[in-house]
Amino acid sequence: MATAPLVAQALTIRTVADALHVQARGFSFIEGPVLTRLREGRSVRIDFEMTVLSKPEGPVVKQMMQGFTLSFDLWEERYAVSRIGSPPRSISHLRPRDAETWCLENLTLPVSSLGFSRDTPFWIRLAYHVPDIGPEASEAPGERYTLRGLIDRLSRRREEADLAKSVDAGPFRLP
Amino acid sequence: MARRLPRRRRMRTLALLFVILGLPLAAANAQEADAPEGAIIDVVEMSGFSLYSLSPGLQKDINSLVGAPFSREGLNQLASRIEQEQPDVVAAVRGVSRPDGKARVIFLVARISDDTNLAENINARYIVETVDVEGPYNEISQQLRDDLQKLVGRRLDTEEAERLQERLRTELPGRAVARRISKGSQTGRIRVVFEIFEEPWIRFVPPKSKLVYHSQQGWSGVLDIPITASHSRHRFTAGVVFNDIDDLIEEYSGFRLAFESRVIGTERFGARLEFSRYNESWEDATQTALASSSGIPELYRNRLTFEPTATFAFNSSVRLSGGVSLSELESLSNSPNSQMANAWVLGISGDHLWKGSNEVRQRAEASYQLRAAIDGLGSDLVYKRHLGQARYQFDQGRSTAIASLSLGYITGDAPLFERFSLGNSTTLRGWDKYDIAPLGGERMFHSTVEYRFYNVGMFFDTGSVWDRNSDSKLRYSTGFGVHTDNFFLTLGFPLNNNHDSGPIFMAGVRF
Repeated sequence: MATAPLVAQALTIRTVADALHVQARGFSFIEGPVLTRLREGRSVRIDFEMTVLSKPEGPVVKQMMQGFTLSFDLWEERYAVSRIGSPPRSISHLRPRDAETWCLENLTLPVSSLGFSRDTPFWIRLAYHVPDIGPEASEAPGERYTLRGLIDRLSRRREEADLAKSVDAGPFRLP
Repeated sequence: MARRLPRRRRMRTLALLFVILGLPLAAANAQEADAPEGAIIDVVEMSGFSLYSLSPGLQKDINSLVGAPFSREGLNQLASRIEQEQPDVVAAVRGVSRPDGKARVIFLVARISDDTNLAENINARYIVETVDVEGPYNEISQQLRDDLQKLVGRRLDTEEAERLQERLRTELPGRAVARRISKGSQTGRIRVVFEIFEEPWIRFVPPKSKLVYHSQQGWSGVLDIPITASHSRHRFTAGVVFNDIDDLIEEYSGFRLAFESRVIGTERFGARLEFSRYNESWEDATQTALASSSGIPELYRNRLTFEPTATFAFNSSVRLSGGVSLSELESLSNSPNSQMANAWVLGISGDHLWKGSNEVRQRAEASYQLRAAIDGLGSDLVYKRHLGQARYQFDQGRSTAIASLSLGYITGDAPLFERFSLGNSTTLRGWDKYDIAPLGGERMFHSTVEYRFYNVGMFFDTGSVWDRNSDSKLRYSTGFGVHTDNFFLTLGFPLNNNHDSGPIFMAGVRF
């Protein structure tokens, strides 16, 4: 088992056995409308996409997608995350940043599938989007023509930005 | 969103949950009553998990329960410590009173990932204290209200809550329904709230997809494919028309593309753009009638239309629309010459839905539209077309009563696609439009009354279509058939037809 972090811009990578992990400082997604929805006891699905590129904005070498379901335990006041797919994995009693980290830890690519030598530079794009937050999550009825409704409307562009985010970083090299 | 587990695994999960919820212990065995506070604990068990997976300190604290007095609070703290040490599980604790007055303690532990409900929402571990509806509660059927209340007293079943949310959407068409959960009045209890949002003030034009058969006129087909985007605020529709002879005097085929937005800055304002191109063919009856008529614009082989409109909603019921309709009609006999039929379009429409007790629903709709083709728009054909329509529907249980009225009036030289016609699958059912007015007419009156019971309907249609220089003749038809909102199978009989024509059979789907 080898663990070798390489820092480049906002992302850090490490390999554990044949798995390429990514860590992203400041890549928060439990905020804005997602946080609002979770605090209301609703669950939120978040789909992640990790893409390995051979150049910045260049051809895709490998891509993997993984979905997670988040919920907020109203009485414990901690977050729970479940990885969608097989095998299922779940965890609870997490603080927000720990829940985000757990999602990224469960987002891996097999190093062997990249076909890179140690000297080959590559770039990584990490993205997420929240597919199923409808307008009802961010827009309460009866507030459309109130001061709060106006503020909500003016901030909607920001909220929509919170529902999808992408960060590119590189170059990386395998340790 | 919930994942489906294989049946065998689901059964195991159900069994596991049954254990963890302690329901069989509580319900099936009345002798195993809850242990009272202070009873001496003589047995501690752990179900669904190995005690040795826990830290030595926690193991020791659990083992030391034997001989100690039963304390619900202390046991809950230990269950919480199990969850903190093993965050992939949920733990609950149950104390059972033994015949000798001592207490048996069981820690019930299950993996979150083994249960779809918990994996979907961790709050599924809690008992529902109340179910509330924020919105028009009176518009929900009694059956659904009862089913909503069945969630109370049980652990939250997210799949069942999802089904109930879907039923609310079905009962309240056009309204958004959301669900939220909040803490209840006691630890471990939750409150489920279904939120019902108002119907959008501006609605999309319903798709016109249909496959219709009329025994005198043949088949008509339309396929509209709507693609909704951005939280249902915008919609793009691509449509294909196959020999539609049901709508107009002409038989037309072609395509249309439409883009609609029902929220432009505000929900009061929307817009629609439609582009269409159709190829026309004409019945012999129409061509013969045109040859002996004067003042009716010529036949065309192609109809190209661009129609941008904007809509303003005064409230959720009343809307005002305005725009232009620009049509180029390529001459049938003198191609490639063409005529323009460019009209201002102005319309106002209103509708209202009442829902009362005993599952009574009443819906009323009314609209008026003016299409005015004048010189200012560069129109070769100058005319004004007025159309007023009203419809009322009453539903109670399996019974439906429908009444509708349409009035039309044209001045000037309107092209054939603007002229009124009656005698198709929706008007004067039992008549053939080419027997009544093969060129359509400038004046129109039509009314329908229909009653349905268990989707078997009977109707009585009355109507007349005529020109400004001719007399109107009122025609009647009646019939019966299977009528649902999307499907119909109808036999229509003309009542005052001097010709010896039989009934007309109609069938089709609209979706």
